[in-house]
Amino acid sequence: MKLFGWFALFFLLAMIVIFLAIILGDAAPWYFAWIIGTGFLILTSAAAGMLFDEQEDEAAHPQKST
Amino acid sequence: MINDTVVELSRWQFAATALYHFLFVPLTLGLTVFLAALETVYVVTGKQIYKEMTQFWAKLLLINFALGVATGLTMEFEFGTNWSFYSGFVGDIFGAPLAVEGLMAFFMESTMIGLMIFGWDRLSRGQHLIVTYLVALGSNLSALWILVANGFMQDPQGAVFNPITMRMELESFSALIFSHDAQAKFVHTSIAGYVTAAIFVAGVSAFYLLKKRHLELARRSFRMATIFGVLSTIGVITLGDALGFIGAHAQPAKIAAMEAMWETEKAPAPFNLAAWPNQDKQENSWAIQIPYLLTPLLTHTMDTELPGIKNLIAHNAERIKNGIPAVEALKKLSSNPNDAAALAQFKAHEPDLGYGFLVQRYAPNQDVSQATEANIAQAAQDTIPDVFAIYWVFRIMVALAFLMLAFFILAVIYSLRNEVEKHPWFLKFSLWLIPVPFLACEMGWLTAELGRQPWTVYNLLPTWMSASSHSVQYMVFSLIGFVGLYTIFILIEMYLMVRAIKQGPDQHDAHPTPSSGSLGGSVLASGAAPVHAKALIVDSTNKEV
Repeated sequence: MKLFGWFALFFLLAMIVIFLAIILGDAAPWYFAWIIGTGFLILTSAAAGMLFDEQEDEAAHPQKST
Repeated sequence: MINDTVVELSRWQFAATALYHFLFVPLTLGLTVFLAALETVYVVTGKQIYKEMTQFWAKLLLINFALGVATGLTMEFEFGTNWSFYSGFVGDIFGAPLAVEGLMAFFMESTMIGLMIFGWDRLSRGQHLIVTYLVALGSNLSALWILVANGFMQDPQGAVFNPITMRMELESFSALIFSHDAQAKFVHTSIAGYVTAAIFVAGVSAFYLLKKRHLELARRSFRMATIFGVLSTIGVITLGDALGFIGAHAQPAKIAAMEAMWETEKAPAPFNLAAWPNQDKQENSWAIQIPYLLTPLLTHTMDTELPGIKNLIAHNAERIKNGIPAVEALKKLSSNPNDAAALAQFKAHEPDLGYGFLVQRYAPNQDVSQATEANIAQAAQDTIPDVFAIYWVFRIMVALAFLMLAFFILAVIYSLRNEVEKHPWFLKFSLWLIPVPFLACEMGWLTAELGRQPWTVYNLLPTWMSASSHSVQYMVFSLIGFVGLYTIFILIEMYLMVRAIKQGPDQHDAHPTPSSGSLGGSVLASGAAPVHAKALIVDSTNKEV
């Protein structure tokens, strides 16, 4: 049930994104670029933080990477 | 009669309050989004350090947010107190986005920021993350509605002038909010805020790295801020280009002033890399030019002709002549709204109504029917904003943007190689770079608003007739009062920020205790708890989603 809940949530999000892509992409290209770009920025920055932790772990335990 | 000194003082007052306010806004816009990135890592990885980082940067955000609100509230009232004719003329359009900003974005942002600061031990991790995202969304939506209102002033879309009520009336709300100027300006401003936050976080982190304090927080924050910053800076430069493209069509006088372009050059026109504009002589005393660059920069083509300032003045003189019958017709309609001939005359000359208002300032007894050629020529000169000021504030902004881009590229390289701490000079440079994005944002605001002159609403309502009829003494007194008060606000902000930065993050897990206090993380997160009390506070926030 929990899995179905997650599926439904992400399906809904995907629908919203597709709707926005169609409506905003035509009428408001820069607003659409902002939504996508800000999401991308957040995720990329978060990935940068995780990459830092990976590098730290690798430096502390070099055998992991072999 | 309208007093020119009062108009000038009203402009100075609004410029002063806006520029003070705009020292706080970009950091709030960017830091809220950066917090969302930090907390995302915390929720995904469960690592406590990211929670501490989020709480620390949120504390600095809170200081900035509180003072930003204090300086921002007065500005909305200034429209009514100092710009009453403007407010009456375009209130139906301008008031709508401002009202939506207050009711939707600001309330959401204010409510959610409370939950974000005080909700660490009351919400699950997932719930708190949603709240943090809503703070970021609310602060940026707030900017959106303000810039939709400002977009109308720059490129009025979605409204018509009603000659019977003598007011602008909203015709299309979608045209208002989807105006290209509003769109590009919002994204440009919002991302400029991201850059500001990235420089701020990188600078403060560099301070800790130099002092060898809070290294875990500083290294991670520096890494995330530099990635956040390099992408944001590319975005802000891209949107700057978009604004130039839009402005080339909607505000040719502003663009010509920004480029100190006096003559209409054959396409592709040269780009004035550096010049010394002389507005009296309508020429550049000297200029360093790059051939063929301006046309593709502004129009994204090689063959579109860009009008020079002298051509624009001549063209605008014709528009003033065409606008005079529109103003005359309005006068007849004000005494007899059923005058069909006057209405027909108005409709025939409506597109140039604003230009008719321009010459009213110089016409004998402010009667446009008595306007002379000299009056028209004088009004036509007014259609060009201050070229020297706009040319240089624009260039300072662009130079600072590229400086920040270079910094971020180097910072990303050093950070990815984990060798930023080997370069103390670079860490010191990062620290000293903190004021730069704030300065760049101020320069950007000046470019946009000085370039809009002589209009409050472009091509429709001149600035000279937009102000209220206060006395000079009243305006001087209130201007000095605002500048004094806001300077105190800035000093308070800097004092609180420096104190919070020196104090550093709350070390939750450094002093874990077995007791389960009810204080939780709320007081801790707010920074209000005394240091000795923090040891008694249990971190009970590791709730699952």
